[in-house]
Amino acid sequence: MSNVVPRGVRAALSGISWPVYILLYTPLALVAYYSFAPAPNQLGHSLHGYGVLMRDGSVGAALRRSLILAFASAVVSTALGTLLGYGLSRFRVPNARGIAANIPSLIIYTPIIMPSLVFGISELIFFNFVHSYTGLLGAGLSTMVIAHITFQVPYIALTVFARLAGLDQNLFEASHDLYANGVKSFFFLTVPVVRPAIIGGFLLAITLSIDDFTISFFTAGPGSVTLPIYIYGAIARKGISPEINALGTLMIGTVMVLAIGQFAFTRIREGRAKLIPE
Amino acid sequence: MSATAQTAVQGEAKARSLRLWITAGPGLFWVVLFLLIPSAVLLGIGFFTADDYGTPVLPLTTTPFGQVAGFSPLGWDDGNIVILLRSLQQALVATLVSALLAYPIVFFIMTRAAAIRPLLLLLIILPSWTNQVVRTYAWLELMGPNAPLTWVAHALGIVPVHLGIAPGAFAVTTGLAYNYLPYMIVPLYASAERLDWTLVEAGRDLYAKGFGLFWHTVFPQTVPGLLSGVIFVAIPAFGDYVVPQLLGGDKELMIGSLVANQFTETPDWPYGAALTIIMLVFTGAGLVAFRLLTRKLGGADEATI
Amino acid sequence: MKTLPLPRAIKFLAAGFLLAGAGLAVPKPAQAIPTLNLFIWSDYIDPDLVKSFEKQCNCKLVETDYESNAELVAKLKAGGDSQYDVVVPSSYEIPQLSEEGLIQPIDHSKLTNFKNLITTFQNPSYDPGNKYSIPYQWGTTGIVYDPSKIKDPAHSWSILFDPKVNPSYPFVLPKGEGYDQIGAACAYLGYGFACSEKSQWIAAAKLIIQTKKRPNFAGFVEETPARDQMKNGLIAVSMAFNGDIGQCYADGTCKKLVYFLPKEGTERWVDTMAIPAHAANPQLALEFINFILDAKNGAQLSNFNQYATPNQAALPMVQGILKTEMFTPTPDDDKLLHFVNSLKGAEFKTFNGIWTSVLQ
Repeated sequence: MSNVVPRGVRAALSGISWPVYILLYTPLALVAYYSFAPAPNQLGHSLHGYGVLMRDGSVGAALRRSLILAFASAVVSTALGTLLGYGLSRFRVPNARGIAANIPSLIIYTPIIMPSLVFGISELIFFNFVHSYTGLLGAGLSTMVIAHITFQVPYIALTVFARLAGLDQNLFEASHDLYANGVKSFFFLTVPVVRPAIIGGFLLAITLSIDDFTISFFTAGPGSVTLPIYIYGAIARKGISPEINALGTLMIGTVMVLAIGQFAFTRIREGRAKLIPE
Repeated sequence: MSATAQTAVQGEAKARSLRLWITAGPGLFWVVLFLLIPSAVLLGIGFFTADDYGTPVLPLTTTPFGQVAGFSPLGWDDGNIVILLRSLQQALVATLVSALLAYPIVFFIMTRAAAIRPLLLLLIILPSWTNQVVRTYAWLELMGPNAPLTWVAHALGIVPVHLGIAPGAFAVTTGLAYNYLPYMIVPLYASAERLDWTLVEAGRDLYAKGFGLFWHTVFPQTVPGLLSGVIFVAIPAFGDYVVPQLLGGDKELMIGSLVANQFTETPDWPYGAALTIIMLVFTGAGLVAFRLLTRKLGGADEATI
Repeated sequence: MKTLPLPRAIKFLAAGFLLAGAGLAVPKPAQAIPTLNLFIWSDYIDPDLVKSFEKQCNCKLVETDYESNAELVAKLKAGGDSQYDVVVPSSYEIPQLSEEGLIQPIDHSKLTNFKNLITTFQNPSYDPGNKYSIPYQWGTTGIVYDPSKIKDPAHSWSILFDPKVNPSYPFVLPKGEGYDQIGAACAYLGYGFACSEKSQWIAAAKLIIQTKKRPNFAGFVEETPARDQMKNGLIAVSMAFNGDIGQCYADGTCKKLVYFLPKEGTERWVDTMAIPAHAANPQLALEFINFILDAKNGAQLSNFNQYATPNQAALPMVQGILKTEMFTPTPDDDKLLHFVNSLKGAEFKTFNGIWTSVLQ
């Protein structure tokens, strides 16, 4: 197909794209570069920023909370989302019309499309009301986990649904005859088949959790400062400093290493065994 | 899909719906309990009276919507309308910029060897996997006062001396486009991947080369992807909170910051809720418009719930 | 079909659940020993004082920071009134917080060190009988500017509000709840810092709206972050607290900056310790307040955060810049200093409405 594209156009495409690629990484590279500055707005090389970071106990605590938040929410949302995607693809009447038939779709798309600010403030008010009447759900890590699960579930459901939608329904009928039990059929047929989607969804959920700031910000309580909230607060308070850049660099670096590693890993596996195409 | 449902006996239909509720129920219930009910509460608050400290109390009123329209103790002011228009403008420009960048990049990736295409796509998506605060504040290193791009702007005389590009409107646009560019590229790439190149081959015989060829054969096929991209960029950009806060310096408010203010700095929950309703009305209107446009132009051809 | 890796899938999920369970369980052991949740302005308490309090009470102190009174009030309303044990609002917030039922009366029988307070801070006008609040630190709000950028300005609010005094260098205003800003604009317009008429507030609001439209207005930034931006050379002038500047004079990071009290008048503020209405640990909160009221601890606090102490018994032990006129104002300076009006009820609503429209 690419032979359709003339050489001149290809050159022009490269000419536009490479600068964009560079621009995508320039700000991140500058963060890394300035993380070695001895003080804000000073040039030079030192590990001062990293030293400050290591000595600051609240950064470690924030990191721990971020990881707890990401993993706890991703696990629950993967379970809920997988069941949801599976149920909708298997048991919903296909091509049904009318409002009732569309309610699940509406429910699933709302968290995706709702601006995160509205999402966060809704949660803030809701938890506030619940807490003032029942004493439960005081703002903190638990409310943050609940909010994160809420925005992750639809993504996982969609991933799993998309995977199942590509499958032959007769496969399920056959499996149903074979195992004669919905639960068995689910674990022996569905789970293996959608495993890539589940793992992908789980990783996506973690990514979404780590990426989020706004919803975390409005659902956080005392002593539930996560890394993004810590960074935002530090910038609002003191502007950018070498230690904040050092923290940013570590976050960027971790994501890059994980992503590239995961990418390489899947490539190797794909090369080894060409399974069911995605 | 299959026609089993129409022919199924009633008992089977019942079992089916029971299974549907067992599997899909918990997830749907979770979202309803922790998002739909809370947002309904938020919207409801927009019709309550604010007490002296901004807490919603009865009776029901439409005063908050008067405040949204611009009435305040200072008299009527166009401030809120300006903020709304500014948010729309920022969202539109950010969407336009990302669409204009996305096309060359998508076709640049398409023209590379199949083996490295996923890597090139990954490199586009990667920055969006770091936290939004990190990748937004990173632009302060380029556009803040005393930063490289600001020096260039000073040399060109675009930005007054002593000031930075950030905080400012241009910095906000850049930040939004940067944050949401991958959300434009990914759906566009998905539809470009399914492109029917025989149409392009045929078109080459019929039409002039160059842009005409692109416009008549390639572009129509990518419209569904483009429209998804527009939705994924425009809606979050319109209501974004982090980018205007960090790169706009509270100077030229966007609607997100205006809403957040009513729940933080200057508490007035009913007013904030009324602003949220306006925000959602615009979001919803945009969504419906694009949904209709998609149906008309491309039709939903993907497996969607 | 290939072999079904079911056990692995289950292990994967089970491991995840265990991880999540372990993760959620982590905060719990912390509750085993009593915890004092302190919600306070950033950099406002000496970490060594925190350690010695933890030692004394055999408890854990969790510090969370805020940057503005508005943030404090918002968090208290959003359920924070049951999550924090001690908060440190400015004096003018006390009538509002007590009327809204967000803070609780203080049990004076537990405060054996109360007598250490300077008499003017006992029974203050904003909180008769110190029913809800105990002074923590006090200070002045003034102007800080960079003399290498703005040459010899008159010691006046004009440095913020008159474009001729600073036509091109970036400056900021605090966002907050507007008391200082409206007061400053009132003072500049000749109504006096403690202006209390609605018409004066509106005139002041209009002046601030004009001011924020100037091209060199760099946004709304609270006093302490603004001080830090000034240290980094990002802005040239801002409102500031004397103690913030004292801090960076003391550590040598802002020697070139100049602080002054505007001649039209400005604020004398008091930050106070209060106990939220539904605090989990009010007894520990009282112990903490009494700990701060101790003479030696009070002096250590001031020597750390470089703010003036309301503690008479601590005065002999404060050091360095705290002994200068910046912290013990001369009688002439004293005349410039006013308490901000404590607004509540309908007055508060009017004022808040005016400030809301300034911010948008």
